[in-house]
Amino acid sequence: MFGHHTSIHRKLSYVVLATAAFALLITGAAMAFYDMRTFQQTLVDDLTAQADILGLAAEPALEFQDPESAQDYLRLLEAKPNVVGAAIYAANGSLFASFAAHAGASFPELPDLDGYRIDGGEIGLFKRIATHHEILGTVYIKARYGIVERLRGYVGIIGAVMVLSLVTAALVSLRFQQRITRPILAITSAARHVVETRDFASRAEKTTDDEIGVLVDAFNGMLTEIDGRTRTLESEIAERKRAEEALREGDNRLRALNTELEERVTARTAQLEAANKDLESFSYSVSHDLRAPIRAIRGFSSLLIEDHGAALDAEARRKIGVVSAEATRMGSLIDDLLAFSRLGRRAIEPSELDMQQLAQTTYERLCQADNTRVDFRLGSLPRATGDRGLFEQVWVNLLSNAIKFSSKKESPVIEVGGISQEHEHVYFVRDNGAGFDAKYRDRLFGVFQRLHSDSDFSGTGVGLALVHRIVTRHGGRVWADGELGRGATFHFTVPKESPDGRV
Amino acid sequence: MEEFEQVDILLVEDNPFDAELTMRGLKDQKLANNITWLKDGEEALDYVFRRNAYANRVDKSPRLILLDLKMPRVGGIEVTRAIKSDERTKRIPIVIMTSSKEESDIVDSYNLGANSYIVKPLDFESLAEVARQAGFYWLAINRVV
Repeated sequence: MFGHHTSIHRKLSYVVLATAAFALLITGAAMAFYDMRTFQQTLVDDLTAQADILGLAAEPALEFQDPESAQDYLRLLEAKPNVVGAAIYAANGSLFASFAAHAGASFPELPDLDGYRIDGGEIGLFKRIATHHEILGTVYIKARYGIVERLRGYVGIIGAVMVLSLVTAALVSLRFQQRITRPILAITSAARHVVETRDFASRAEKTTDDEIGVLVDAFNGMLTEIDGRTRTLESEIAERKRAEEALREGDNRLRALNTELEERVTARTAQLEAANKDLESFSYSVSHDLRAPIRAIRGFSSLLIEDHGAALDAEARRKIGVVSAEATRMGSLIDDLLAFSRLGRRAIEPSELDMQQLAQTTYERLCQADNTRVDFRLGSLPRATGDRGLFEQVWVNLLSNAIKFSSKKESPVIEVGGISQEHEHVYFVRDNGAGFDAKYRDRLFGVFQRLHSDSDFSGTGVGLALVHRIVTRHGGRVWADGELGRGATFHFTVPKESPDGRV
Repeated sequence: MEEFEQVDILLVEDNPFDAELTMRGLKDQKLANNITWLKDGEEALDYVFRRNAYANRVDKSPRLILLDLKMPRVGGIEVTRAIKSDERTKRIPIVIMTSSKEESDIVDSYNLGANSYIVKPLDFESLAEVARQAGFYWLAINRVV
């Protein structure tokens, strides 16, 4: 009935007016119905009474067959404006006398039983004239029914009343409605305002304490809630934005730092490479140029003895021998130093190593050279992954040390063993030789560090430094136990996962 | 051994003492009478290719070249490259005798066609022995060259 966009004000007006109209219509209809019935009843009663009177009056005329006097009685009905016509029928049914208010009025040929019939705006009523159970005749009265006019009048009145009361209702409803709709409209406009401006701080005005008042309270409460949440949300968003900003800034700084770092690494790498090149050419020069004079010292010492030995006494020959021997020692120092420095530059080439075989062959080679009488006890050694050449050097150095330092014992014993642990293989070389003072154990693995005088045991002090460097380059550890005069044990480990890093 | 006494060995060595010791070693072993000693690579190339000071050289080409690597002006590597890339001279055996144990030197030398690479030992006896062996090997065994 109402469009979706019809305002509540108009809807309320429609409701009030429709209600009023319906009430009036129903009331009017009921009244009209009741009045129509009363009107008809009254008319019928009235006509019946007149018919009775006419019958009584016409009795003598019928008895004496005097239609003229009957006619006179009928003519009295002229006084009744609604009577169209009247007739009196004799007992045999023939028309005895008649009266027509105007020309053209017709009467039924024969009288009917008592009763009335409404036909085309006219009502016809028959009434028997009877005395002492004898029927003398029948009176017939025909009158204008007039109910349509009456109904029309009613409709007119109801219509007028309706218009009047609707106008009144409209005015009254307008007045009272505002009290209902104003607060609703206030909420509506407040809601619209909030939606349009997103101003959650605005409130709808509360004017009543009824359901609308509750609605206003609820609305305002919701606004407060939304306002609060919006503020929280906004502050959270702002917070997050700040955090993101900070993060981005941090990210940028990090990236810049990273770039800087990379540049520095590149620069440093270039420097290192240059330094490495310098070192290489340095060691090249050392190996070439330093060895030449030593070779000359030794060579010419030999030539001196060979060519002029006869002219020299024993002391002179001894001194020349010292010159030659020291030159030789310097040569081996240079060689060892070169080997040590070369180690740092060489890339590790890992392969599977049979450590037991490596130790065995190394020992045999050393024995050929040194021709010793050692009790060599080689246990079973776990296989490891590492650079073959480098681990050969490890075994050479550890075994030759063991041979060297146990060489002054009556029955030298060298024991080599190994065990596989969770993450690494552990190997050891034990001798019963000169050993060392435990408080110097940290100095064992330094370059040119020696714990024995050269007159006791010859050496350059590079061997264990070499071992240390090789093992740590493979990710392992080296340590030593020992006691002065009671031998020494050198341990080293090789990790099972071989790292490819360099020292 | 008689025929070896007539062979020509070209010794290219900048260090006079090393040169003296080498020549002494070779002569002591009666390996060669005719040793020509040159002090650097440029001189060696002039000699081998008969250029400049050696343009009118009448001797035959050397039967063996003992070559040091690190020398002033032209080094041993360049000398090896020049001799081994020339059709006329590439069959002359070259034995590198040097103090250098650097792997790059060894690899370069062999790549360029050096016939042998010997690291000079520290002591005179060993040096003389090495020189003798090298000379003997390349002169006696490789006669076909």
